[in-house]
Amino acid sequence: MTYEPPVTDYDYIVENCTCAFCGCNCDDLDYLVKDNHVVAVRHACRLGASKIMEDMDQRLLVPMIRDENGELKEVDWDTALDKAAEYIANSIRPVFYGWSETSTECMKEGVALGEYIGAVLDNQATICHGPSLQAVQNAGYPIQTLGEVQNRADMIVYSGSNAMNSHPRHMARYAVFCRGYFRQRGRFDRTVVTMDPKFSDTAKCSDKWIGFEQNGDYGFYNAIRAVLRGKELYQDVISGIPKEDIYELAEEMKNAEFGVLFFGLGLTHTLSKQRNIDIAIKMVQDLNKYSKWGLTPMRGHFNVNGFNIFMAFECGFAFGVDYCRGYPRYMMGETNTIDLLVRKEPDCFMVIAADPGAHFPNGANQHLANIPVIQIDIHWGPSTELADVVLPGSFIAVECAGTSYRMDGVPIYMKKAIDKPEKKPVVMTNGLSVN
Amino acid sequence: MHYANTYLEKPVVPDVKITGEGTTDVLKCMLNTGSDIYQGACKKRGSTLKEEYKNASGTCYMDPRDMAKLGVNNWDTVLVKTDFGEVVVNCAVSRDAPHEGTVFICKGPWANTIVSHDTYCCSDPTYKGIRCTVEKTDRKVLLMADLMRWVYKKYVDEEDDDVVENMDSLGELPVYHGRKWEELIDHDL
Ligand code: SF4
Repeated sequence: MTYEPPVTDYDYIVENCTCAFCGCNCDDLDYLVKDNHVVAVRHACRLGASKIMEDMDQRLLVPMIRDENGELKEVDWDTALDKAAEYIANSIRPVFYGWSETSTECMKEGVALGEYIGAVLDNQATICHGPSLQAVQNAGYPIQTLGEVQNRADMIVYSGSNAMNSHPRHMARYAVFCRGYFRQRGRFDRTVVTMDPKFSDTAKCSDKWIGFEQNGDYGFYNAIRAVLRGKELYQDVISGIPKEDIYELAEEMKNAEFGVLFFGLGLTHTLSKQRNIDIAIKMVQDLNKYSKWGLTPMRGHFNVNGFNIFMAFECGFAFGVDYCRGYPRYMMGETNTIDLLVRKEPDCFMVIAADPGAHFPNGANQHLANIPVIQIDIHWGPSTELADVVLPGSFIAVECAGTSYRMDGVPIYMKKAIDKPEKKPVVMTNGLSVN
Repeated sequence: MHYANTYLEKPVVPDVKITGEGTTDVLKCMLNTGSDIYQGACKKRGSTLKEEYKNASGTCYMDPRDMAKLGVNNWDTVLVKTDFGEVVVNCAVSRDAPHEGTVFICKGPWANTIVSHDTYCCSDPTYKGIRCTVEKTDRKVLLMADLMRWVYKKYVDEEDDDVVENMDSLGELPVYHGRKWEELIDHDL
């Protein structure tokens, strides 16, 4: 990489902005603004900085609909909204998917619309931490805030999560390198363990790497639980890990003063899915017989947790909520977006601040090619290639304000820093806007 | 005007040179997908149509020993096949090696083509731990827009993959009829 000289040519600085990228929701960023455009960002990681200094080539600014030739054409707002409303009104099984990259205020409008027309509302949890939410319903939720981790934790375990790549400031700001009230020496006061089949970037800066074999997570956690309960292991090697190492690790975990398990998609995407998380939660519960332990899912988008908390508050279910009967229903494997799409049930799909084109498996996306897709987003992405109506939004935490929930459930208000890059202000009246 | 730059044409990978022809044509592997920092930065900046996204997301990270078996070098192209589809991607030496027998492709339209949609009734498709084969190929990696057209064919009538693959590329900029952002905003960037 080449050397980048610091940016000195700016008009003013907006301090203490919140990053709208990952579940860390870092709220200490400074934006350097010139001509109503963020030209540099201080304190953000590579991910946050690149999102905030967006690619204008692909910024969506005008509403578009597909013409007869299958090409997108700019239209005025009324035409685009009429078209979108027509698709939604004529459908019998609409799905509103997304919501994780917008504010909780926007979700409020969305759920009102969804309830009115009887849609399925689902968010990205369905393809990332859905199994975690299911496990939380099965086994409990021994959570703590990230502030507690910073001030108290002396043992940090990352399991199936590559924090250095997906939450780059997590280690620095909340968990590992930062100093805390009871951990005055920062990194030196903490033990870091990474459990991952790969020797990931997070494993490289940990004290210990447990490289269990692929799909071996379930067996491995069960072995630790057995040891914690005073049982003996009969096999010499479990999930690719020698039993002596498991004894040693269990001992270390018991002796921690305050331990935290952060787990990521490595656990939820493998074959045992929610059972992995079940067993991880139970392991934390077992550990609490000896010491204080907690766990936190490493939520990906900055407000994916917000949708789950908001929906649980509004209708009692965290995600995959089906309003088709007029009241909320939720059934794993039935009212979730991927299952619906694979069964070819939906006949209208609205994407709000999400990108199924980039994240859904082929088998699910194939159905999006058969049905009308309405996209509300700020950038032209893979989903735009499948969209019949495209409605541009504004960039939350940069161009408009709103509330989001951090991975540990702490709500954070994200403020507005610059105006939306538009000559003519666009007023949306039907609650479809992405903040 | 100078502004901070987050573009990076290609992810940084270990500079390992593979010599020799390789010992096998088809390599059986385990496929994992997920995110890495290059893919994340490029995707969320919005640069999904660009060459950069193709390199960040459409790259199969392999153990150098596996690459030696196939006789491929950094940024050669490989064809990855699973029960769910096939896709042409770049290959490169993994930063997390050794993980012989396992390949990693970042999430994105390329990986989606070949991952399993089985949720086993718990909402989450199986993105990790899928059996796959990797082989050397001369076909080139498609840009995002071309790939979406090739895989989903939503707005083309053609059924034949080869015809769709050889259509004119949609390029690295949005294709639509209407005002572009330069006409809508005055400031010069
Ligand atoms: S760690 Fe996450 S929230 Fe913090 S700056 Fe990086 S991307 Fe943004």
